[in-house]
Amino acid sequence: MYHRKHHPLRILKQVILYVLLIGATLLALAPLLWMTSTAFKPESQVISYPPQWIPQSPTLANFQYILKNFAFGRWWFNSIFAAVVSTALVIVLDSLAAYAFARLNFRGSQALYALILSMLMVPMQVTIIPLYLLFSSVHLIDTLTAVLLPTTGNVTGIFLLRQFFRNIPLELEDAARIDGASHLQIWWRIMLPLSRPALVSVAIITFISSWNNFLWPLVVSYSDASRTLPVGIGQFFGGASGVSGSAPQFGPVMAAALLATLPAILVFLVLKSYFVRGITMSGMKG
Amino acid sequence: MNEILHPVQNGRVNGHESRVCGRANAVSTMATALKATGRSADAATKSMEADIPKSTRRARQYSPVAYLFVLPYLIAFVLFRFGPAIVGFLISLTDWQIVGKPNVVGLSNYRLLMSDPQFITSLANTGYFVLLTAPSLILLGLLLALLVDQRLHGRVITRTAIFMPYVVMSTVVGVIWLWLFNKESGILNYYLGLFGIRPVAWLTDPATAMPAVAMATLWWTVGFNMIIFLAGLQDVPQELEDAARVDGASEFNVFRHITLPLLAPATFVVVMLTLINTFQVFDQIYVMTGGGPSLATLTVILYLYDQAFTAFRLGYGSAVAYVVLVVLVALALIQRRLLPESEA
Repeated sequence: MYHRKHHPLRILKQVILYVLLIGATLLALAPLLWMTSTAFKPESQVISYPPQWIPQSPTLANFQYILKNFAFGRWWFNSIFAAVVSTALVIVLDSLAAYAFARLNFRGSQALYALILSMLMVPMQVTIIPLYLLFSSVHLIDTLTAVLLPTTGNVTGIFLLRQFFRNIPLELEDAARIDGASHLQIWWRIMLPLSRPALVSVAIITFISSWNNFLWPLVVSYSDASRTLPVGIGQFFGGASGVSGSAPQFGPVMAAALLATLPAILVFLVLKSYFVRGITMSGMKG
Repeated sequence: MNEILHPVQNGRVNGHESRVCGRANAVSTMATALKATGRSADAATKSMEADIPKSTRRARQYSPVAYLFVLPYLIAFVLFRFGPAIVGFLISLTDWQIVGKPNVVGLSNYRLLMSDPQFITSLANTGYFVLLTAPSLILLGLLLALLVDQRLHGRVITRTAIFMPYVVMSTVVGVIWLWLFNKESGILNYYLGLFGIRPVAWLTDPATAMPAVAMATLWWTVGFNMIIFLAGLQDVPQELEDAARVDGASEFNVFRHITLPLLAPATFVVVMLTLINTFQVFDQIYVMTGGGPSLATLTVILYLYDQAFTAFRLGYGSAVAYVVLVVLVALALIQRRLLPESEA
């Protein structure tokens, strides 16, 4: 072992690594910083040569424009509502079923579980047409119910929770059973409290995928009553929509982008370790 | 050397204790799940069972109450997942438009697809997008993970910064990059101009539109792959790498013969998910180009959406959806062949 700390080659290597580290950080952050900077610029300064990263005369006019002309608050509420309700539903439904698959013996359990797993590779995109017909046949198109319900058919949650439950020692349960606890009590008093990390991960994955979901809400919502943030932004501020087309009005568009992004980033910074664990546990986006 | 490596490759280096405490090796768990869909699910369940400590396995009593636990989820699963997946195929055998009565037309939608120039274009464009994004997403994800795994000051800040774009919703990513790529006043063209490069019509030129979308996608999701690789790297026992270094192995050889083989489960997950996700690209393209200019960024999911929800050809759209499904399953099967089977 020759740890020559001040060897010239070693120093050169360190310098290169730090240059890469700083370069990667700047490249990753630049688009977000530029969005933020543009959002606070008055229309006359949005386009300037050379680009100004710090607005000369910051203004909130772009935010006022967005809040006045679009049902932004409503999109916000819809997104939060859909994400919270679908996460709650997924946690309850998945943990109940996962408990049965992990611990209880019933006829057909193997076949049923295999059937569920077989859908892991079937993406939402393949099912949107039948889903659309299903919800239109019960007159639920353009409702938040239609936006959020399909999330409950997810497979990842079942898989992760079943795996986790199976690794909880049986002795804990045996003790409870001797005391006369029912399966429901064991699920509630033992499995759920002991599985908090897995439950948090499943909750975060479900929340993110609902919060970001675009294609299905785009298909199923026609009005602000059920329009979520991604859909509102995609429909009104996209390249084909005109707002930012030939005569760019990027100030208001970036204000909307910032309003939609900031909360997510703040939540991410606070719950960072849970995010990372959720991502690595599931490795799943949708 | 092999004797040292072998038990680690079986994923047991962390021992059973950590699994019982709930720190199951997440990456290899997911790898197992992904493989399970290719193999028979039953065999996969068995191979997973082998990982479980004996104390939690034992004869279980027959309990009919289980059906009540499974029922609520099962209803949701059948209504919103399994049912639609089956019904989708049946719809693809009809000429269903949103109005009027559907007729069964057999496989003729699929025959039509094969000679539909727009569909062929959309398939080719999707392949092009996958080629542009998947290799760079995987490679860059790995390189970034190796970089932020070094003992450097500020590496946590870099990790956070690189992952942060992933938290931004897809349509916001679209509008941000619309602005960056703007021909007249976007900053990308401004900074390229400093190097003497004339303004590029990124999103309005058919030649550059797809690479531009690919660049935005790279920025958006490379952090996700980095995180999975990083988790994989942290499962690689430091002692093994150190031992090889003591024996005089170069950094490259340590990486090539120790780190990389032990990263196989993470690599499997990353490659699989990157292929699946890039093949289904929709959101950014819908926002940035809408499939244009002159169909240069029309991908299969965009075509599916257009056919089903703009032209209201539900039968035809369903056929497109099923072709997508077949491609995804094929990708999964090919991938299982190509990557070494070395995870737990």
